[in-house]
Amino acid sequence: MNLKDLSIKRKLMLITMLTSGLAVVLSSAGLLIYDLISFRQSLSQDLMTQAEIIGYNSAAAMAFKDESAATVTLSALQAKDDIVSAVLYTRDGKIFAQYVHTKASARTFPAPPQERGYRFEGSYLEVFRDVTLNGEPVGTLFLQSDMRQWNSRAKRYATIFLSFVMISGFFALLVSSKLQKLISGPILHLEDTMRMVSATKSYEVRATKFYGDEIGRLIDGFNTMLAEIQHRDGALHHANDELQTRTLELEGEIVHRKEMSKELLNAKHAAEDANRAKSAFLANMSHELRTPLNAIIGYSEMLEEETHELGKVESVKDLQKIQKAGKHLLALINDVLDLSKIEAGRMGLHLETFEISPMIEEMVATLHPALSKNSNTIQVHLAEELGVMRADITKVRQILFNLLSNACKFTDHGTISVDVNRSKDQGEDWIRFQVTDSGIGINAKQKANLFQEFTQADVSIARKYGGTGLGLAISYRYARLMKGRIAVESEPGQGSVFTVLLPAKVTPEITGTTQAEKTSDVLVASSEMKSNLDTILVIDDDSVVRDLMSRFLTKLGFHVVAAASGEEGLRLAKQVNPLVVTLDVIMPDCDGWAVLNQLKADPELAEIPVIMVTVVDNESMGFELGASSYLIKPVDRDRLAVLIEKHRLTRSSTVVDAKAFAASLRNASPKKENGREKGKATRNDGKTAAPVK
Amino acid sequence: MRKVGLLIVITCLLSAMAMGSHAAGVDSSDSSEYLIKAGFIYNFAKLVEWPTTAFPQPDSPIVIGILGTDPFGGTLDRIVADKKIDGRGFAVKRVKWSKDFKDVKDCNILFVSLSEKEHIDSVVEAMKGLPILTIGDAPGFAKRGGIINFTLEDNKVRFEVNVEAAKHADLTISSRLLTLATIVQQAAADGRKSE
Repeated sequence: MNLKDLSIKRKLMLITMLTSGLAVVLSSAGLLIYDLISFRQSLSQDLMTQAEIIGYNSAAAMAFKDESAATVTLSALQAKDDIVSAVLYTRDGKIFAQYVHTKASARTFPAPPQERGYRFEGSYLEVFRDVTLNGEPVGTLFLQSDMRQWNSRAKRYATIFLSFVMISGFFALLVSSKLQKLISGPILHLEDTMRMVSATKSYEVRATKFYGDEIGRLIDGFNTMLAEIQHRDGALHHANDELQTRTLELEGEIVHRKEMSKELLNAKHAAEDANRAKSAFLANMSHELRTPLNAIIGYSEMLEEETHELGKVESVKDLQKIQKAGKHLLALINDVLDLSKIEAGRMGLHLETFEISPMIEEMVATLHPALSKNSNTIQVHLAEELGVMRADITKVRQILFNLLSNACKFTDHGTISVDVNRSKDQGEDWIRFQVTDSGIGINAKQKANLFQEFTQADVSIARKYGGTGLGLAISYRYARLMKGRIAVESEPGQGSVFTVLLPAKVTPEITGTTQAEKTSDVLVASSEMKSNLDTILVIDDDSVVRDLMSRFLTKLGFHVVAAASGEEGLRLAKQVNPLVVTLDVIMPDCDGWAVLNQLKADPELAEIPVIMVTVVDNESMGFELGASSYLIKPVDRDRLAVLIEKHRLTRSSTVVDAKAFAASLRNASPKKENGREKGKATRNDGKTAAPVK
Repeated sequence: MRKVGLLIVITCLLSAMAMGSHAAGVDSSDSSEYLIKAGFIYNFAKLVEWPTTAFPQPDSPIVIGILGTDPFGGTLDRIVADKKIDGRGFAVKRVKWSKDFKDVKDCNILFVSLSEKEHIDSVVEAMKGLPILTIGDAPGFAKRGGIINFTLEDNKVRFEVNVEAAKHADLTISSRLLTLATIVQQAAADGRKSE
């Protein structure tokens, strides 16, 4: 067993035994050795004395050469048991007399007298000494002792020493086995206590303190530690209980929250459902509202013209009022629809690149009637080299139109100015449109919810100035849609400044949307020489529309062929090969999209421009499928006239050289005409005036 | 008588020569009987104490007188030549027989040679009361009142001591010397008559 792993008890005993044993052995051995050495010394002294006496006694005998006398003198040594031999040498080294102890064996003697003095030779002590007579040497004496006293003394000592060590060791063992308990007892007790604590995990146990020494203090410390642990244990239990309570509470809370969130989710679903229902309702309503409005506006326009020709001035004015009210209603419906589309996130962007200056000029021209109404003058400041911008031109136009018409509306005999410039900010080009008026202005309170829907600056304003109160809200959302912004600065009575900041290059919200690239300026030419340049095919299941279109277009000098269904339309298209096809979308059996698809799929008919005329607001789809223009009912007749005229001119002028391009363009994807007009723009324009050429 | 003495002398000489071969002499170069005797005389001086009055001064030499024919040759002179005992040196002188012993009286040791054996009694008489160690070479010298005289035992030189005579001469002889000597008493009758 390893010495280090011995128990404390054994270690203490071992230490005590070793220490006391070592002390006893060392001290007694030292004492004995000292005694033996000094005894040896005294032995040699004795022998020297002996030699002196013998020498003195034998000196005369030697001097007078009396051998027998010398022998007698030496024989006196018989009484000394330890002296085994004695020799007298003459001065010249010869043996003069000799003596050997009777008990000693015969022996040889050292031949010549050697160095004087004593020496230990083996187990013998030898002495050489000069024999002198009156100080004059007469010979040498040799004495040899076997030191038997010393040997017996050493033996006796060894015995005493061994028994002494054994007895003292025994007593030390006895005493240390009793005394070690003083130290090992408390430690063993402490160990027992610790084992008990760790086995039973009960911290109420305390170790007993025996003495006030280090171990006593250790036990005190251990007890303090136990007390601390007990305390902590209690606190921990308490905290644990509390935690459990809290956890339960929390779990209850979580269940509650879950239920709440479930309810909230349900509510959200309900709200979404409601919203969807609202959107569906609005869409339905718009369709339902537009169809009768279509008839009202269309027929009132027809009637107005006819009445005008007949010279019934009063009737004309009444008809104009009907027309105006209808158009206002239409504008309202359109705004509400736009707003709901924006809210629902269904408003897409149709990005195209266009020149800014012509757009502004066209805009200003359009505004002319509104300007003259309140006797306002307009100033247009266009920065040089405005260049092009890429944006949804319809929406840009609508924003500016809203701002400008508002400016006209709220300014009387004042000046309205339009400033357009290009600036750079954060590595991007921005186009800044600024509309300034000297009108009634807006106060701070009004400014706060200026861009909120259905809020005009004042309720009274609606009565006084009219309007839907949706224009700015829509403009604001359009600007945001194109990642731009609108700001207003105004003081009541001081006029207002509206600033629109749009990126020169608007990036689409989601790439790969339905909008198509529109860079090609190549006009689509008809490959068909036999095209009837004065025939227009109207495809619509609504007889009112067919009737109105026929009457309007005939008036413009076109020959109109009407089809009541898609199949009929396709058949007629092949028969007459018209200049333009106007196409409705919602028709029984074969809808407008299908017809458009088939038209574009047929190489003979693919070149015929198709103008969508519908209540369905999905121009993206129309352009995707290859429509040239998209008008939304009720149709702005002036707009329609312009479009048809444009197509007529294009096709007739390109007929001659069309052949050259025909082949290369045959397989090209259906192109939309440059600078196409959208129905929505047309609609908004329609609020006040026809587009300006 | 003379013939006997001569004979003795011769045998002594022979035996001394024989002895010298087996027992070491004092001087290895001269091993005769008288060589040994000369050494003995020197050793006697060591073991005998004189009264302080015997010397005129503390460092006065011990004077050895040889009465009669000198048997030592120069041996005795040689042996004691550089020796000292208790700070005293030695002086050897030859003295002649005379009535008043004028030369003899300042000696400390007086060796009475064999040649003077006729005058032993008168010499002893004359020396009586004086602190002079008398050593005789003739047999019976001590018995006749001398202090020491040489003898031969088994061809070995031994000696006799007359303790009484020494006391009279106020000399102290060491017990160590005495243990080796043959102690003799003074004969009551006249020595010459008995011989």
